[in-house]
Amino acid sequence: MENSNSYSPYSSSSVDSTKPSLSVNLSLSLTFPSTSSQRATSQDWPPIKPRLRDTLKSLRLRQRGYNTALFIKVYMEGVPIGRKLDLSTFSGYESLLENLSGMFDTSVICGNRDRKHHVLTYQDKDGDWMMVGDIPWDMFLETVRRLKITRPERC
Amino acid sequence: MNYFPDEVIEHVFDFVTSHKDRNSISLVCKSWFKIERYSRQNVFIGNCYSISPERLLRRFPCFKSLTLKGKPHFADFNLVPHGWGGFVQPWIEALARSRVGLEELRLKRMVVTDEGLELLSRSFVNFKSLVLVSCEGFSTDGLASIASNCRHLRDLDLQENEIDDHRGQWLSCFPETYTSLVTLNFACLEGETNLVALERLVARSPNLRSLKLNRAVPLDALARLMACAPQIVDLGVGSYEDEQDSESCLKLQAAIRKCTSLRSLSGFLEAAPHCLSAFHPVCHNLTSLNLSYAAEIHGSHLIKLIEHCKKLQRLWILDSIGDKGLEVVASTCKELQELRVFPTDLHGGGNTAVTEDGLVAISAGCPKLHSILYFCQQMTNAALITVARNCPNFIRFRLCILEPHKPDHVTSQPLDEGFGAIVQACKNLKRLSVSGLLTDQVFLYIGMFATQLEMLSIAFAGDTDKGMLYVLNGCKKMRKLEIRDSPFGDAALLADVNKYETMRSLWMSSCEVTLGGCKRLARKAPWLNVEIINENDNNRMEENGYEGRQKVDNKLYLYRTVVGTRVDAPPFVWIL
Repeated sequence: MENSNSYSPYSSSSVDSTKPSLSVNLSLSLTFPSTSSQRATSQDWPPIKPRLRDTLKSLRLRQRGYNTALFIKVYMEGVPIGRKLDLSTFSGYESLLENLSGMFDTSVICGNRDRKHHVLTYQDKDGDWMMVGDIPWDMFLETVRRLKITRPERC
Repeated sequence: MNYFPDEVIEHVFDFVTSHKDRNSISLVCKSWFKIERYSRQNVFIGNCYSISPERLLRRFPCFKSLTLKGKPHFADFNLVPHGWGGFVQPWIEALARSRVGLEELRLKRMVVTDEGLELLSRSFVNFKSLVLVSCEGFSTDGLASIASNCRHLRDLDLQENEIDDHRGQWLSCFPETYTSLVTLNFACLEGETNLVALERLVARSPNLRSLKLNRAVPLDALARLMACAPQIVDLGVGSYEDEQDSESCLKLQAAIRKCTSLRSLSGFLEAAPHCLSAFHPVCHNLTSLNLSYAAEIHGSHLIKLIEHCKKLQRLWILDSIGDKGLEVVASTCKELQELRVFPTDLHGGGNTAVTEDGLVAISAGCPKLHSILYFCQQMTNAALITVARNCPNFIRFRLCILEPHKPDHVTSQPLDEGFGAIVQACKNLKRLSVSGLLTDQVFLYIGMFATQLEMLSIAFAGDTDKGMLYVLNGCKKMRKLEIRDSPFGDAALLADVNKYETMRSLWMSSCEVTLGGCKRLARKAPWLNVEIINENDNNRMEENGYEGRQKVDNKLYLYRTVVGTRVDAPPFVWIL
């Protein structure tokens, strides 16, 4: 039986999964007899370093004719240490927002700032900070350099 | 009771360099303790939370070199969440305040900041050597500080760090008068490199021995660099795209031929398949070869290269080399001491690139082999028994069968007997990683025979607490034990609390230990930090008043310490 063709990461596609106990990688075609082995996500098994994992993932995608991985940094305003995200694995803005909301455990939206939600912005190739969502997704992928999730308005 | 003046004893101590030996001589008597204290040059701290910088400085006021390690080993595989800890800042600040003449700093799995690097660069006039391995939290701005301010810098060695590359001009921050560079490794930087600054730096560094480039250094630049530095011993080729421009290729080949001191080759981060042939002229001198990132190069090209490498002692390679390739290694590389074979197919797609046959061939052909890391899809007890018979000299034996719980693929038996043979034959075994289908029996063997074992990694193995108990009771020299996804629980954890004082650390994730068990352990052993790491819950576990019987969701990490609970733990780390 052929292994599942598409590398189908579950929603949290960054290198660092925040929900290991929920993220069963169903694309593994091997039969794991015990439930504990289902906890081995594709991010922490087999035990190889992130750099090799990324290299092999890019290689697989290239071999299958997909675009190479597009890893960019994501920061939450006020939090000094950021995350990394592979944008090439999302189909559009909706799945991106869904994933970010899960990763940072808060509601992240596109659009104007309001009191409740975090708004997503990005830095484009000119170095300018822009609101996410205005341009078509494919164009966005070409120009995005990094992401920042802003804090909700205070007053 | 000294028959010699202190200076003579100190001079004798200068010849004692290993940390273990220095620790031993400091225990002989008060006088030796004092002399050793003031003459200790190199300090090694395996767990940055086991001691504080203040206590370090009180004990060793005169050291020149400090090695610090932060996160536990499983952090390499994404098992430790971001923000867990391992911050070097307090250490740099304390050292800067003191009068220590720091010359060398080696950090592994620690969080470093640009501010810290800036402070480091300004605080120690004779600072010579910075080695960062698997660290994160800093950018090329921090590197710019080091380059600008460390007049006597010899080594800047960045291995597999997460560095925010601002694509800046850090390389041009080395002053024009600066000529003392010996080691420069920036292979892990992802961004563009200022090639002009790099070439000028290399051209004015006659002592340069080790140069490892990142992927942004193209072929023609590589040729120019090698032409400037024919004395190079250790080269990391950045990218090596197949250039149509034959002039570049010819220049490169000419430059390579002049590098008669070249002994170590690595990199090939983006490599066209045919590029290795340019290096054939220098292969006969190579002692170290790392092709573990050259994912695009086919096995046949790897084999052609290795056929020329008769003096190879260290080989890191991808499994695309195949069993046939390993047979070539076995027949060619008679001096081989260390082999690592990494996987290319992470999802077990049935491509059995290397099997137990490759491992057996290596064990039969390479009599000096003492360290191995081998990823494969399948293994048999018979093969492991043969390997044990062929190679009783293993110091490090790490086998990773990609599919958890996979049995001997011929007999369908657990691999207990195979690993049992390894530990029985290899009397000097210090490090072991086991995998495949394993029962408590393998741990009985490990406890019985692996008397020198210091580090053990267990994943998806064992049946009951007895397994872990065999290990804890038997392996007297155990220092680091890391376990994931194995059915060991409170009974094993609590059986011998004093054992943990003889160990650096214990990691258990996705096992059967409960919160109640961990709390009991923490009460019995106040000299341990018992950490529960659960990035999903922050502190909700405590707030909801979880039952003591609740299984520890996620991770337990405990380690001995003389300075009590650490104050920099994030909310998702609960220190009991």
